[in-house]
Amino acid sequence: MTAAHDAPTPVAHRGPGPIAWVGILAATCLLLVALNHILWLVVPALMALVLSYVLDPPMRRLMYAGLSRQGAAALVTSVFVVALIVASFALIAWAGARAEDWQAGVERYLRAGAGLLERTLALLEGRWSVLARAGLAESVTTWMNEYSETFVKRQVQPLAVSILAWLPALLLGPFLAFFILRDGRRFHGFIARAVPNAYFERTLDTVALGLGLWALGLPGAWLLGLICAVLAWVPYVGSIAGCVLVVLVAATDFSGDPKMAYWAIMLFIFVRLLDDFVFLPATVGKSLKLHPLVSVLMLFVGGAVAGVPGLALVLPLLGVAAVVGAALSEIVTDRRLRARHALGRRLRAAQAAADLE
Amino acid sequence: MLGFLRAAVGTDLHALKSLSLFADLSPRELKIVQGLLHEREYLAGEVIFDEGEEGNALYIVRKGRVVICRQGRPEHPIAEIGAGSFFGELALLDPAPRSAQARALEPCQLAVFFGSDLLSLLETESRLSSRILFQFARHLGRRLRGTVL
Repeated sequence: MTAAHDAPTPVAHRGPGPIAWVGILAATCLLLVALNHILWLVVPALMALVLSYVLDPPMRRLMYAGLSRQGAAALVTSVFVVALIVASFALIAWAGARAEDWQAGVERYLRAGAGLLERTLALLEGRWSVLARAGLAESVTTWMNEYSETFVKRQVQPLAVSILAWLPALLLGPFLAFFILRDGRRFHGFIARAVPNAYFERTLDTVALGLGLWALGLPGAWLLGLICAVLAWVPYVGSIAGCVLVVLVAATDFSGDPKMAYWAIMLFIFVRLLDDFVFLPATVGKSLKLHPLVSVLMLFVGGAVAGVPGLALVLPLLGVAAVVGAALSEIVTDRRLRARHALGRRLRAAQAAADLE
Repeated sequence: MLGFLRAAVGTDLHALKSLSLFADLSPRELKIVQGLLHEREYLAGEVIFDEGEEGNALYIVRKGRVVICRQGRPEHPIAEIGAGSFFGELALLDPAPRSAQARALEPCQLAVFFGSDLLSLLETESRLSSRILFQFARHLGRRLRGTVL
């Protein structure tokens, strides 16, 4: 045995180096490409993770009350599924009774939005004769009329078909959630760790948007803020839908004051920038221990590599790749750890061969 | 294939209850702690952790004996830990470097309790974790008293 002063001491780990980080980022991109081909499974799996996080506290209470983990997981999942079915039927019945009112309301808001756009274009044409000569207002109005005529056929029908196509996959969510709850601890670890911060980020988003809209004097600002924050979960499309919603409400309720709509657009862009460049990297990125710059850059890479699903998946995937990459990097660079592993293998080999010599 | 999903921890509740750290826990609370433990097996001479290594977990000796010594000097033991005892408990408080090396003196079965799991318990099971922490404080107090007197 060596003397104390000769004995090797473990090195302090400084985290993965640049080569390891290149590997982590490359692995994240590869995973994105691979998962993009099995989205039908990835989306229900993510839903199941969120669901299991929500159902975990009541399951723990049941376990404290004496139920087994399996029994508690089955009970909370069953109650959730029954509640979901009841809520769906109630929602369909409620929405069916109000469909006509909603259609009228939507048409009113759309007309007000179109009016705002026409007034804005007329104002621009009045200021810049180049735009008037180019017939900007006329061409935009023509395009809008054509688009609105074919909107249902081109957008709503494919959306309805894709929702129906996704329904069986989405039903997998509660099924997977049951197994995550029952066998949870071993495999939902650090992915689920990101969920609370995502909720937190949504809360920050809602508060910022709601406060800003309230300051502008918009009616129902908090509800609008909440709807926009929830819509923002859908990358790109959700933000645009939220922005359109805010502008339509502003244009309808303040039809004589177009400045309100412009302020709403500016506020929305500001909050979206705040969300994408401050809240998201600072909350989700912090939870995954990523530098904010890496988080933002990877969001762009995720969008470029795998489109809209890539935007939603890139940070959790990067977190997984970073944890695995950091562990591999530690093992590869730490000679003491490898030596200890080699000693263990030698001891086991000697034990296995003890009666053979 | 999915064997890792089955309850792999063989540490029985009675053995856990006999540890001072978990002495105040009810059978249901012991089951929760049991679910957090990881079983490890070491052969004689194998290093469990090195002096100076970042500590992340407490080790409970289920079978065998472990020697606590200065780095690379097991022939001059600081302490020997037998079945039913635990070591490395300061790692539950913070991930500071280990103050000594731990080696298996004979083939050992250990149960490992990670500090991060105790932190999770603090957030989700405050009553359970406060009972563990109270016993932990008493354990540290006894050790401090033993050092001073």
